[in-house]
Order: sequence, then structure tokens, then C-alpha cells
Amino acid sequence: MLEDTIVAISTPYGKSGIGVVRISGKDSLKIGKKMFSPLKKDAEFAPNCLVLGRVNLGDASDLGFMVYFKEPHSYTGEDTVEFQCHGGIVVTQKIVEKAISLGAKLANPGEFSKRAFLNGKMSLDQAEGVIDTINAESESELRASSSLQKGILTKTVQELQEKLTDLMSEIEVNLDYPEHDIEYATKEKIKAETEKIYQKITDLLSTQKQGRLIKNGINIAIIGKTNVGKSSLLNALIGSEQAIVTDIEGTTRDIVIGTTEYSGIRFNFLDTAGIRKTDDKVENIGIQKAKQALNESDIVLLVIDASKDLDEQDKENLEITKNKKRIVVLNKIDLKQKVNLSGEIIKISAKQNINIEDLKKKIYDLSLDGCVTNSSIILTNTRHVEILKEAKILIEATLKTIMDNSLDLVSLDIRQVYEKLGEITGETTNEKVIDKIFSKFCLGK
Amino acid sequence: MKEYDVIVVGSGHAGVESALALARLNNSTLLTTLNLDSISFLACNPSIGGTAKGQLVSEIDALGGEMGKVSDRNILQLRLLNTGKGVAVQSLRAQVDKHAYHSDMKSVLENQKNLDIMQCEVVEILACDGKVKGIKTAFGEEILAKAVVVCTGVYLESKIIIGEYTKDQGPNGFVNSHGLSSSLRDLGFDILRFKTGTPARVLKSSIDYSKFECQKGDDGIQTFSFLTKKQPKNVAVCYLGYTNEKTHQIIRNNLDRAPMFSGMIKGVGPRYCPSIEDKVVRFADKTRHQIFLEPEDKYGNEIYVQGFSSSMPRDVQEEMYKSVDGFENVKILRNAYAIEYDCISSLDLLPTLESKKVQNLFFAGQINGTSGYEEAAAQGLIAGINANNKLKNKEPLILRRDQAYIGVLIDDLVTKGTNEPYRMMTSRAEYRLLLRQDNADIRLTQIGRDVGLVDDYRYKKFCNKLKKIDKVYKILSQKLRASDVRNLLQQKQESTQILPQTARELLKRNSVSIFDIDQKFNLFKGIDKNILKYVETEIKYEGYLKRQEILINQMKKNEEIKLNQDFDYSKIKGLRLEARQKLNLHKPLTLGQASRISGVSPADISVLTVYLSLNKRKSKRS
Repeated sequence: MLEDTIVAISTPYGKSGIGVVRISGKDSLKIGKKMFSPLKKDAEFAPNCLVLGRVNLGDASDLGFMVYFKEPHSYTGEDTVEFQCHGGIVVTQKIVEKAISLGAKLANPGEFSKRAFLNGKMSLDQAEGVIDTINAESESELRASSSLQKGILTKTVQELQEKLTDLMSEIEVNLDYPEHDIEYATKEKIKAETEKIYQKITDLLSTQKQGRLIKNGINIAIIGKTNVGKSSLLNALIGSEQAIVTDIEGTTRDIVIGTTEYSGIRFNFLDTAGIRKTDDKVENIGIQKAKQALNESDIVLLVIDASKDLDEQDKENLEITKNKKRIVVLNKIDLKQKVNLSGEIIKISAKQNINIEDLKKKIYDLSLDGCVTNSSIILTNTRHVEILKEAKILIEATLKTIMDNSLDLVSLDIRQVYEKLGEITGETTNEKVIDKIFSKFCLGK
Repeated sequence: MKEYDVIVVGSGHAGVESALALARLNNSTLLTTLNLDSISFLACNPSIGGTAKGQLVSEIDALGGEMGKVSDRNILQLRLLNTGKGVAVQSLRAQVDKHAYHSDMKSVLENQKNLDIMQCEVVEILACDGKVKGIKTAFGEEILAKAVVVCTGVYLESKIIIGEYTKDQGPNGFVNSHGLSSSLRDLGFDILRFKTGTPARVLKSSIDYSKFECQKGDDGIQTFSFLTKKQPKNVAVCYLGYTNEKTHQIIRNNLDRAPMFSGMIKGVGPRYCPSIEDKVVRFADKTRHQIFLEPEDKYGNEIYVQGFSSSMPRDVQEEMYKSVDGFENVKILRNAYAIEYDCISSLDLLPTLESKKVQNLFFAGQINGTSGYEEAAAQGLIAGINANNKLKNKEPLILRRDQAYIGVLIDDLVTKGTNEPYRMMTSRAEYRLLLRQDNADIRLTQIGRDVGLVDDYRYKKFCNKLKKIDKVYKILSQKLRASDVRNLLQQKQESTQILPQTARELLKRNSVSIFDIDQKFNLFKGIDKNILKYVETEIKYEGYLKRQEILINQMKKNEEIKLNQDFDYSKIKGLRLEARQKLNLHKPLTLGQASRISGVSPADISVLTVYLSLNKRKSKRS
């Protein structure tokens, strides 16, 4: 177990300014180097030194530091690499995934502490707490995904295991009772059943993008001219007076964040300074921030005052948001309407609370755009995703084995898939298959 | 007062292996039996081996046991099962002459140095201060011994049941044993009640064989024993037939008289060996069930009807049997019956088969809750070896799950326990690719040698075999002529894009066998075909074997971490409640054993690991 190199996010779950991802084990430096490009080309990873550079995350990268701690001078007592990057779940999550793709294993709850202890890095008094840490982290992991979600996932995986048990018992009964007149487990039949299970796991995995949204929330920037009602909209969306609302143009200068949940997805709204030409230094910084929020958001709500004619600034705003996932919000429909626009548009009144629910629904639909929603399960837990990914690879190998090899080998492959899924459900094979054999088949002398 | 090193109680398949091993290891040994005529009696099927069981017999043989040799000498028919399904699950199954088997084993015992045999009933285990002292017989005689091995099979307080008729009796009309159960109870053992059954025996000449399908043996396969030189001849055949709707109707009409359902039978029966009435009730949609006709011996006229065991009343049995096609005029010689008996909980045993409750008291065979001759013999052998090792202060012999089915069997018994008669199956062995019939000798002969049960003759023969295997590997790594390789591949419709250089590489192709290679290149003159087959398997399975090896190495590490027997797990607050209870109940010897207890999760094992090294460091500091 200690031979594996492990990885996990070590900063607390949720919002924080910076995020730290820790990799520990003998391959940590090797893995770290593969996913990090120092800004200085000739940078050396001397122990305990911060090296500035970009963490390569496949389609993206993040500016941050990499630090190498040489064993035994690290928390765990093993070779350790830490990435310090921008906070928030998305970046740190991607770093973890990258490390896993390079051969690291996702750390078990409390595993860093456990290793630290086993490697003699803790005093006895401290070590007494390790067991508690293992328990506490398992607990919090359980809590991290809502029990309902977890319950449904466990049930679904159990059903897959049940199917695998059926399959195994059919193979095993053929192997253990060759003289009995039981239906022969043909390769075609085994293959067809295995393919069904493969499909199911693929479906499950396709929900993970959605899962990430649910877990971390989606960021929605509220953009628009001054005094179109952005702050009122924020307050209406979250149902509380988070933002100061006045009729003075340029009231909102810094970004105001408001959070709400809709059908299990967290919406993070970013109310921004109204965009206009101004000489006010502070307001201009606010406008810059608004544009940055626009760039970094997942979805943009472009607010336009429906009671006034469309002006140049509105048109410019339409232009700068056109490549984003965007909803154009025509506000103040309780007043006389002057704007006529076509396309993705919703008409609301933030003040009178008209069509706010419809807007939320629209945001919800747009966030799930491209995600498969045919099952009621959504993967939110990195460990579950990793286990299912590994199970998928094992099934691919099994499908090859079925046609080429004898039943004793096929059975071994299927058992491996079962055991892998057992890491989610905690169920192991042996007695189950035997029980199944006896309940399903009529055997004996 | 008489005194022995070891007394073995019971002379069934467990008892005889135990006694022979002990005597051969120079212990003065007494073997007691209720009846000399019941020595190694095949009370149920006249057959040895079968899936997983065939492997057990060859393992017993490799360790220096007797069952394989005696089986090979008394074979009526030999088959290799599962030939189309992969080498790992291929097993030998033999029909043997049950009477010849008995007298053959009896004479082996009679001719064994250091071994006394005595017909008597043992009624008490003598123990003092938690250590065994000897036995007391029904004659009132006390016989002392440093160790005792209890192999009483299904004889403890046993009762046979045929419909409304029941009798306190052992199998096959033999007398049973009274008193020993309560002696064990007094010593603190939990006594369980199990049940099993056997079908009727019918007169051969009363059967219309034209209604049955003949099943012949296989020629020129292997034998159970490494020492058997001549392949036994198939001198008998078996037959396959079926029950029918009429049979099932008779059973359904008489369910009110079936002890299975009337509540008369209280013992737990094995699911894999149900009576015909059980099959008809549980699998109501099946319109027929298989029955196999097996000869009981070479010259006699008695036939065993496999698949037709029952505890129905005699008149119902008569009607049921006669309803089978070909059985219209069948004459039942002995009725089918169920038998209930006392056994102990195998959780009371250490992996050496010594009891946790009384030192130097060992248990083997059906009294431990198993079923089957082979399972019994395997335990008998190990109990005998470990009784010897204990008396001589030698390391115990504990076979791992990756070394032998015997290891799987005993680990299952002492780690998980069993709530029905336990039968070995290949699906119980997670490393079964390694536990093959064809490599039992290679796996275990050296261990048998170290124990002291493999004599010079067998050992020399074994070393010779290893040399030949080496030679085959050497030949296989020689380069072959490319044109011939291409030619062979084309014949086999294999791709010729990348040409294998050596025979070893060539062998990795699915459709190329070592015999194809031998035929083409004439490489292996004078080498036994079983050796070639063995090497072929090792090479073809290489990838999978390596995969299993990785798992085995992980397991071995946990197996080496010893756990204290007196430890109170309820003190570890990090363990889940269920784990604490289970660990306290089972008191595993190693971390590996702990991890196999149901209800103990990987997280619990993780906590336990931390806890153990915590304690280690604490004790180092103090």
C-alpha cells in the first residue's frame, strides 16, 4: 500500500484564496515535473524551494508554485510535491485528475496522516489522533456528497454487482458442476451481458461533468449598463438583500457574490459594476473587474432595461457577451416597454418578482446543456469517478478475454471488475457467488 | 496404563491420514475405530475426486498422504472433468471399488510401523489444566497420550431418518458414538447439528439400461498420485438418466410424510447436496432431474443412484424410484436415508487444526463441519502433521490460500466458519489458476519433504521431474527456423505479420499447442506429455499468473503481521462496532486472517495497522 504515490487536495473544501494539492510517494517528483512548466526554463526543483510556473492541465493551465520536499523532510516522510495554485475547487480538482492520469492514486481518507505516522514523522501523542483523522475524513467524505445521491449511486452500483454475480455464478456453476444439465454459459451470452454492464458504467461516467457543477456550483456573472437593475436582480434571485440598490448610477463598484440553490445545483451569482464610460478611478477598476468576471464565468446574464431604448453601450455589451453562454434579461417589464430583441431572451421584473423562477429554470437548463441527464444519478465524488473509470478499463480487458480465452480466465476478469466496484459499495464476492449458485441452480447428488 | 504419543479417534478418511502421517513421523500412535470394517469406508458415493476435490487428492499425495495412491489402485473408471474450460478447473474424478478401497487402506494401516489399531468406542476426552491427557473408552479404560486427534465423522449422537422411521445409528447401519459429544461440550465446545443424506442402492440386474445413456471413462490421462506408474484401466461405465413429472408428482403427493418438511429433521443440510424432495420443492419448474448410476464395486451387483438421495418413507421411495424410465422393475437393496450428527464449530480451531480451548487436542474431518472424503482426508493429514510438529516443537504447517486448496479449506473453516456442511469448490479459491491438478506435486512436494513425509524415492523422482521441466524451458527458448514457424502459423490460421523467434513465443499464440510445436520441430524426445502440458499451461497463463502473484504478495504481507490472541478489540475506539465484535469473536492470528472476516472492512484493517505500529513504538520506548 505504501508503494503507491498518492494525491489529494489538502486545503479545506470550499472557498479559499489558494488551493494546495499534495502528492506523496516515490514517484511524486516524477509526476510533478511532468505536469509543471517552470517560468524559468532552467529552474531546478531544489528541496523546499518554491518554483513559479504553470501547472499543465491538458486544455488549460494555472499559474502557481510547485514545491518539492525530499524524504524524510516532508509531512508524510516520503518524497512529496505540493502545488500551490488558485483556490476554488475546479482548478485543484483538475490538478488531482492530472496527477492521477500520470499514475498517482487518489489518497484514502486520512492516508497522508497515516503515512506520516507509519514513517515515524509524528510523536506518539500526535499519532493517537491519526485514527480519529481517518475516521473524521471518511465521515466528511460521506457528508460531502449528499446521502441521497450516495444512496442512489450505491444502489445502482450494487445492481451492477448483482448482474456480475449472476454472470459469475453462471460461469462458476459450469466450472464446478460440469456434469449437471445446466444451461451452458456461452461466450456470446457472457459477452452480451458484459457489454450491458459496460454501457451502464459509461452512462454513469458521463454524469460526472454535471456532478462537478453540482458540487462546486456554477458561476453566473450579471452584466449590464448602470442602473438596469443588476443588483435588484441579484437580490431577487437569491431572495435576500445582498446588494445595495439605489437609483444612483454606479452604486455597485466591487463584485458582490450571492449564492442560491436550484434543483440541487448551486448558483454563484456575481453582481458586477455597471459598464459605462467614466473617469471615476474606483468605478473604472470595478468595470475592469466586471469584465474579468464576465470572462471567468460559466454563464452570463446580460441585463437590459426594457423601458429604455437600446443604446450604444447595450449594443457593445451584447457584442462582448455573444460568445459566452448567455441569457439576455429584459428587466423592468412592469414599466412601459421600448426594447424589441429576438433570440435567447427572458422578460422579467426584478422589483415585482416577475418571471424570476423562469429565469432560474433557464439558467439550470443552460448549465446542464451537453450533460447527460437520463439517469437520476450524478457523480459528484472524485473517488467514485476514479473507481468507475478503473472498472471501465477492466471491463474493456474482459471483453477481449471472453472471446480469446477459457472460462477460468474470463471468470477471473469479471471477478476483478466486481471487486473494483466493491470499493464503492463495500461488497466482496466470494460467498455471494456461491450463495447464488445454490439458490439459482439445482445441483447435487 | 498404556501411553501413546498420539491417539487418533476415528478411522474414516481423516483419521487414517492423520494416523499414517503421525506413525510415519515416528510417533507411537493409536488409531481407534468403532468398527474395523468401517475403516476408510465410502459411505456415500463410490467415487473420489471431482472438481476441486481432485486437486485436494493430488495435494494430499504430494504432501505424502495416502488417499491418491489407494484411489489409483482401486479405480473402476477415471475421467478428467472440464477439459474444454481451462486447465485451472480441470479435475480428476474416479469411480472406485468401495470394498477394495476399504481393505486396501486397512492393510496399509495394518502394515504401518508405530501404529496400533483398536476397535473400541471413545466416550471421553481426558484433559487437565486446558491440555489434553488422553481418552477414555466405553470399556472404562483410560489411555494416555500427549496429543489427541478427533476424527469422528458423522458418528457423534447420529440418527438416521427414513420417513417416520428413525434410529440412533451411524451411516450404513454401523453403530454410532454416544458420550463423546457431551465430553466435548464439557470441555467448552459449541456443538452444532448438521445433516446429510445418501440415495438408495439398487440391484444392477433389475435395471433396464437401454433407457439410460452410457458414460465412459477417459483414457490416457493423469493419475491422482505422482507415484502411480501405470495408468489405471477403465473397467466400468456409469449411466445417466432422469426423473420425470410422475416422480415429482409422487413426491408432491407425499410431502406431508417428508421429514425434511415435517420439522422432524433439525440439522442443517448442505445446499449443494439436496435430497430429491428438496429439489422438487425448490425448483418446481424443472420437469426432470439428472440421476447417475455408479457401480459400488468391481464384481458386485449393487448400484449407487447419484442425484436421488431422500429421506422419504420406504414405501414412497419404492414408488419414486420405480417411476423412473428404466427403473420399472428396480429392486432397492438399501434405502436412501438422511443422517443427523453432532459437530463442532470450526471457529474454535486454530489454522493448525488444534483447538483453541484445549491444547494438543486436534480436530479433522466432518466433525469440523465439512463434507466429503477428500476434505476430510486433507484435514486429517494436516492435523496429523501439526500434532507431530507441536510435540516436537517444530513450526506448524499452515498452507496459504495461494499454495493449496487445503489452505483455502482450512482458512475458510477457521476464519469464516460454516453454517452448513462445507464442500470444496474451485470458486472458493481466489488463486485457483495456481492451484491446479497438474501442478500439485510441484507446489507441495518440497513442503512434504520438509515435513518428513516424502521419502527418498519420491523426492528423487520429483527432482528428476524438475530437471526435465528445466530442460523443456531451455529447448523452448531456442530459436526456430523462420520458414517453419511461418508454415505452422499458416496452418493454424494465425497471423504471420510478426514471426515468433522461439518456441516459447510461438506458444503464446492461442491456437498453437506444445504438441503442434513438437510435431513440427520434433524438439521434446523422451519427455512425458504431462510435463509438456504443464509447461504449456505455465506459459500460456503467464500474464494471468503474474497478476495473481501481485495480489498474493500483498496478501502475504498482511499474513506476516501477527495479532495477539488475548487482545481485546473493543478497546480500539477507531474500529466500527461490528468489526470490534467480529474480531473479538474470531480472534484472528494474523492481519491477513482479520481482513477475510466478513464484517471487517478495509478501513478497519487500516485502523488496525496504525494501532499495531503505535503499540510497537510504545513498547520500544518503554
